[in-house]
Amino acid sequence: MLIRTITLCLLAQLCLASQFPKPRVPADNPFNPAKAELGRYLFYDARMSVNGEQSCATCHRQELAFTDGRPRAIGATGESHPRSAMSLVNIAYNSVLAWNNPQLRELEQQMLVPMFGEHPIELGLRQDSKFFIIIRSDTTYKPLFEKAFPSEADPFTIANVTKAIACFERTIISDRSPWDRYHYNRDDTAISESAKHGEVLFFSQPFSCFRCHGGFNFSENTMSAASAPEEPEFHNTGLYGEQGKFKAPTLRNIAITAPYMHDGSLPTLEAVLDHYATGGHNNPDKDPLIHGFKLTPDDKKDLIEFLKALTDEAVLHDPRFSNPWH
Amino acid sequence: MTNFLLRCALLAALSFGMSAAELIIKGDIASPLVLKTDEIAQMPHETVSVPDKDGSTASYEGVPLREILKKAGVPFGKDLRGKALASYIIAKAKDGYEVVFSLGELDAAFGNESILVADKVDGKPLFEYQGPLRLVCPNDKAGARSVRMLETLELVRLQK
Repeated sequence: MLIRTITLCLLAQLCLASQFPKPRVPADNPFNPAKAELGRYLFYDARMSVNGEQSCATCHRQELAFTDGRPRAIGATGESHPRSAMSLVNIAYNSVLAWNNPQLRELEQQMLVPMFGEHPIELGLRQDSKFFIIIRSDTTYKPLFEKAFPSEADPFTIANVTKAIACFERTIISDRSPWDRYHYNRDDTAISESAKHGEVLFFSQPFSCFRCHGGFNFSENTMSAASAPEEPEFHNTGLYGEQGKFKAPTLRNIAITAPYMHDGSLPTLEAVLDHYATGGHNNPDKDPLIHGFKLTPDDKKDLIEFLKALTDEAVLHDPRFSNPWH
Repeated sequence: MTNFLLRCALLAALSFGMSAAELIIKGDIASPLVLKTDEIAQMPHETVSVPDKDGSTASYEGVPLREILKKAGVPFGKDLRGKALASYIIAKAKDGYEVVFSLGELDAAFGNESILVADKVDGKPLFEYQGPLRLVCPNDKAGARSVRMLETLELVRLQK
């Protein structure tokens, strides 16, 4: 009984609907609310960058489902990232974290790239950056670190910074969209008839959107505590006549995360559907699933209505995920 | 007049692609069969819990595919031997998707696969994109043969 109560409390802290499976959490960074709260402060702290003006939240804005609205992210030194900033919603369920790097599978590990990476520079930190001195003396951080890592004599470490931010990011669960109410609560009025028809098209053989964007997180690279380990899938989407394979990201909240694709080159959902309907550009590496399909104006409208039904307004405004420094 | 209007409405609905709530069993069998979904609902059901690779699970209720095929005279048991073993079923969906099952993998004396023609998921009717009927193949590692929007089962005999 006690174990069940503890499990339920943890699920509640992770904001999980009962329909979602339990996420996988690294053994060396178990979830606790104090770590997640510290992580929220760090996530929104603009001092955590070389120019003192950028934080994780600069490229992962809550109101944009934790994307930045730009085609490609801009780092703290003004350098443009070659890729679009990915959404962080349901990141706890991602089996692979970057657009095309199969090695980056843990948030604690991936986070070192934006923090310390030089090609391109994102936050532009170094191990001797002022920020890591600030956290030792800052009156806000001192009790947060001590509460998050109570058994450590010196909790103010870079490893603990990454652990705390990862804990916070794993709480950003998007499971309250109209589609969730329709699908899990069986509320037939939650989505429109147009969206329901769009769902049929989405899962149909000719369109086959579900082949890369299936499952409860609408992404094939989804895993949970109950999943068997699998090699991540990457696809050439036929955007260009060149090589390059990318992961199929979650479609949850996709209506508000424009522009689209790995490089933000398609401005609207309409443009994305047109791209896939035409079958993209031919090249030897193009995924065979990008084969084109007939797309009538009504079908396009219905598919977009379905995709809009995946928008979770609650996650965009939930104070648990908002900036604590305000 | 009312009947005429109802017929027109039904014809119009079908012509616009609404799902005909029935399952057609046809092909190289003596008497092709059409089962309405409410007839299938009356048949003995089994329940299987199917895990997805993302860790979620769904509980499906339905009628064993073998029992539905038996009802249409598809050979199983003592009748499934010799040339009959060179027979297979094409399961086809409303959207044109097709997969194949051999009779041997379905028969209790051979593969004994417990494939269901499901009409409920987690105790509720299937969603439009899934149903009203779908196959569930609990022992398949991949889900691609669990045909959604199932409309026809066709028997093909390679040897007669």
